[in-house]
Amino acid sequence: MKPVFSIRNVTKKFGKQIAVDDLSLEATPGQVIALLGDNGAGKSTSIKILLGLLRADSGDAEVLGMDSRRQSQEIRRRIGYVPDKPALYDWMTVTEIGWFASGFYPYGYMENYAEMVREFKLPETQKIKNLSRGMQAKVSLALAMAHKPELLILDEPTSGLDAVVRREFLESMVDVAAEGRTVLLASHQIHEVERVADTVAIMRQSELLTFDRLEVLKNEVRELVITHSSEETFEFPFPEKRIATRHDGRQSVHLVRDLTPSQMATLENHEQTVHLEQRTPSLEEIFVGYMSGEIRKENEKAPATEPEISA
Amino acid sequence: MHFLIDAHNGIAIYDQIARQMKFAVARGVLRSGELVPSVRELSKQLAVNPNTVARAYRDLQNDGVLNTVRGTGLEITADAKSLCQSDRESLIRERLASVLHEARQSGLSATAIKQYVNDLLQQLSQSEGDSP
Repeated sequence: MKPVFSIRNVTKKFGKQIAVDDLSLEATPGQVIALLGDNGAGKSTSIKILLGLLRADSGDAEVLGMDSRRQSQEIRRRIGYVPDKPALYDWMTVTEIGWFASGFYPYGYMENYAEMVREFKLPETQKIKNLSRGMQAKVSLALAMAHKPELLILDEPTSGLDAVVRREFLESMVDVAAEGRTVLLASHQIHEVERVADTVAIMRQSELLTFDRLEVLKNEVRELVITHSSEETFEFPFPEKRIATRHDGRQSVHLVRDLTPSQMATLENHEQTVHLEQRTPSLEEIFVGYMSGEIRKENEKAPATEPEISA
Repeated sequence: MHFLIDAHNGIAIYDQIARQMKFAVARGVLRSGELVPSVRELSKQLAVNPNTVARAYRDLQNDGVLNTVRGTGLEITADAKSLCQSDRESLIRERLASVLHEARQSGLSATAIKQYVNDLLQQLSQSEGDSP
């Protein structure tokens, strides 16, 4: 299947600051991909490179078979994009901005836009500047979806909005996915992401830490709580399988990935182990683990941070 | 029917949908021959990924609870009710077993656990008796 978009080995620096470091991502039709990461992880930069709004220093990006560097305009006509802070002509009314935007898109745009305006219960004759933030966000979403794009990109569209508006955004995303179209969503609302996404990318400090189907991630990651015989430091024997570790008196908590049964047995029978419990963590716990774990890079000598999570 | 989805409770969402639908059939909220909402309708209603709903429906079909009706969608099968009732029993047994396991792990004696269970059951039947 031809990818809806692809990012291959993209690196972007702002001055000396690395914003995106050797990022590769790919989407197939119908996927709902959540892009998670703390502030400054490189999510928005990656999206802007994909749209051609920023140029990568190296690597390639493609959307619907078009090159992000050279065909930015055509890409933006074909996809839908909801930025975190929508820049709308706020002196226009809800209907006027629809007419204005329809000039850039094929026939049928205005009908779809008007239908969504009704569905979102937006006041057609009100000026954008007099709308609440939630309503402005819905205008932005309606504008991004009215040409039924094959790819909808949302960059933290609902941060700071109330639960009702967030729910409407979720429902719209589900609708897009149900039609076999693709969604890329950068978000902080992890429990919402857990409902709608089928694929999760986690970024931290310009690096992609994991890119997997949510199902696979939840199947492979486990939280182990080990009770030890003494407070002596416990050296986790399989550091390559560990995402994060926390010590707490005679207990240590490890977020691990893809531990084999024999490795589990080794831990259970370890001389320092008194008791071992395992549970399936939520996506939020997995995310926090990735955010607080050690940074591993093959070609770097020392880890950038301590492998400890402060409890 | 009404679903309550909690992405955080440790049970996969497709499993929550399938379970709740089975419970609804077992209680008689959904009856044999009734059509269930389409994947698209239900995924929008619950705000969950359509593949998740499709997976729940696939599981329910494999378990003999749902059946395809040509051209119209999925319906509750004729023997769904008895299937779901026995399923409900084994699901509840499973969950009780895990709670009891946890209680034993925490160091409670069997006698103490039995006492708690009896107390809680009594409380439950009292509050049910109080309600109109």
